[in-house]
Amino acid sequence: MLHLRAVDYAILILYFAFVLGIGMVVRRRVKSSGDFLNSGHSSPVWITSLAFIAANLGAQEVMGMCASGAKYGILTFHFYWIGAVPAMIFAGVFMMPFYYGSKARSVPEYLRLRFDDKTRALNALTFAAMTIFSSGISMYALGKLFQLVLGWSFEQSVLLSAAIVLIYTFTGGLTGAIYNEVLQFFLIVIGFAPLAILAVAKTGGWQGMASRLDPVMTHTWRYLGSPAENPMGMEAFGMVAGLGFVLSFGYWCTDFLVVQRALAAESMSAARRTPIIASIPKMIMPFIVIVPGIAAMALMKMNVGYTLPMKDGAYDYDMALTTMMAQFYPSGLLGLGLTALMASFMSGMAGNVTAFNTVFTCDLYQAHIRPHASDSHYLLVGRLTTVGGIALSIAAAYMAQSYNNILDVLQLVFSFVNPPLFATFLLGMFWKRTTSHGAFYGLLSGTLGAAVTHGLTVAEGKGGWLGTTLHVFPSTMAQNLWMSIMAWSVCFVLTIAVSLATRPKPESELHGLVWGLGKFPPDAGEPWYRRPVPLAIAVAVAATILNLLFW
Amino acid sequence: MNDLKLPIGVFFLILGALLCFTPSAGAPLTDAPVNLYVGVCALTFGAVMAWAGRHRA
Repeated sequence: MLHLRAVDYAILILYFAFVLGIGMVVRRRVKSSGDFLNSGHSSPVWITSLAFIAANLGAQEVMGMCASGAKYGILTFHFYWIGAVPAMIFAGVFMMPFYYGSKARSVPEYLRLRFDDKTRALNALTFAAMTIFSSGISMYALGKLFQLVLGWSFEQSVLLSAAIVLIYTFTGGLTGAIYNEVLQFFLIVIGFAPLAILAVAKTGGWQGMASRLDPVMTHTWRYLGSPAENPMGMEAFGMVAGLGFVLSFGYWCTDFLVVQRALAAESMSAARRTPIIASIPKMIMPFIVIVPGIAAMALMKMNVGYTLPMKDGAYDYDMALTTMMAQFYPSGLLGLGLTALMASFMSGMAGNVTAFNTVFTCDLYQAHIRPHASDSHYLLVGRLTTVGGIALSIAAAYMAQSYNNILDVLQLVFSFVNPPLFATFLLGMFWKRTTSHGAFYGLLSGTLGAAVTHGLTVAEGKGGWLGTTLHVFPSTMAQNLWMSIMAWSVCFVLTIAVSLATRPKPESELHGLVWGLGKFPPDAGEPWYRRPVPLAIAVAVAATILNLLFW
Repeated sequence: MNDLKLPIGVFFLILGALLCFTPSAGAPLTDAPVNLYVGVCALTFGAVMAWAGRHRA
């Protein structure tokens, strides 16, 4: 257990004070449901870009990625360079014009404009469930951390973080969450970067660290020839198709949690540049959050007194980050590291809660329960939904306890929702023949396809609940990726089949919603770094170079 | 709250000052004065952000 000193508590209190202060100040700007739920489309691009990445910097990004770094090595980098950057570029260049241009307040609302109400409702329901799970996982991670590291009770830790997030999202809405996410982003970087530097230096630099580990732990592509060659149990095709295409495009292009940050931008150009600019720090983040986990495995072979704790006869990888902090951080920096962890949990929670707010209020309550109420009524509902969302998240936090790697459980949840949704969007945005019935039944069958795959396969004791086991995966990560591929494929094929058998909407109803139907504002007069396409090319080149350097 | 840079700058200035005045002791695997190093980085970043926020305002 860690023992904090006065300076560590002072840093925690300083952070809480600023977070709550920002929420209170932003409160004055919230005058309508649009301000509360959509931030009034007024935020500059540097803020939306950092919020775009920070909303994803939840528990999975720090504890989970560090744990995966220790468990799978540098293969975890693929979650960034293959599993994020290409999809973020695609979202900015191709998808954001439809989201922003259609003036939809949410992803489900775009589905209503492009298809119909039943598709919107289905997506709103699955997305709402997913955000609650994601928020709950952040709470679970925080509760576990503060229980084990500081000796606080699980309940106290969860309730404290929930109360703080509740205050600033209740008062400031999306703007409060976005502004705090920017502060949290900087805090996370300055709180964890020293750990990566100190840990790698202790092992003798990158070469020294690599020499103490199996080669598979420090090469991104070399050992992806077959599942037996690497600890993740994946081969290159599964990695590219499952993570690099289906899962990542499903998340970064259609998950309203991140799309919402771009929609808060002040212009179409800013909205398009938001995910592309965000992909630049995204390329750097694995060095900050994954490398300490890899270094932890090297340190264990150096006899310097460091070892990972055990859980149920195996390493408890989730503790990699905090045990490393205990070894490398003195008082002061330890308080900063713990505050950064708290910030990551809170940004994860707040991001999910604000997305849940908007989807519940706009796409479920306003659309199906009370359609024609006053704006002040929807503002009140949005605020009350904040309370309900956080209460449900607390319940979800207890479900995460049966996994020894919280990234695995999060990917499991994503596998059900995002891959089929991406197939629906891909067809809906780029094939005008896609029909409402095709989208609905494709989406539904894709989600069921993921469930059936999980029920018929087993990985690390998870799945197989349909009674028959058709395949055993070497890791839950591999199972999740193949579930994603199955969900996407089923949705894609069924959407096409049903669309061909049903009548599409007339083209006049699809302007601004489908590629090729409608025009977007030109940006030819802007310098290259303010234009999405040249910026995207520069980022793609940088990502390619990084992949080659760590091949 | 016209510009977020100012509050972020003030936050990191206070954080940097706290770290700079805290001795680096109690970490089994670190001998370097890491509190000072990180504190100086935080102070620099905070000063830049605060200046940018004030300049814009």
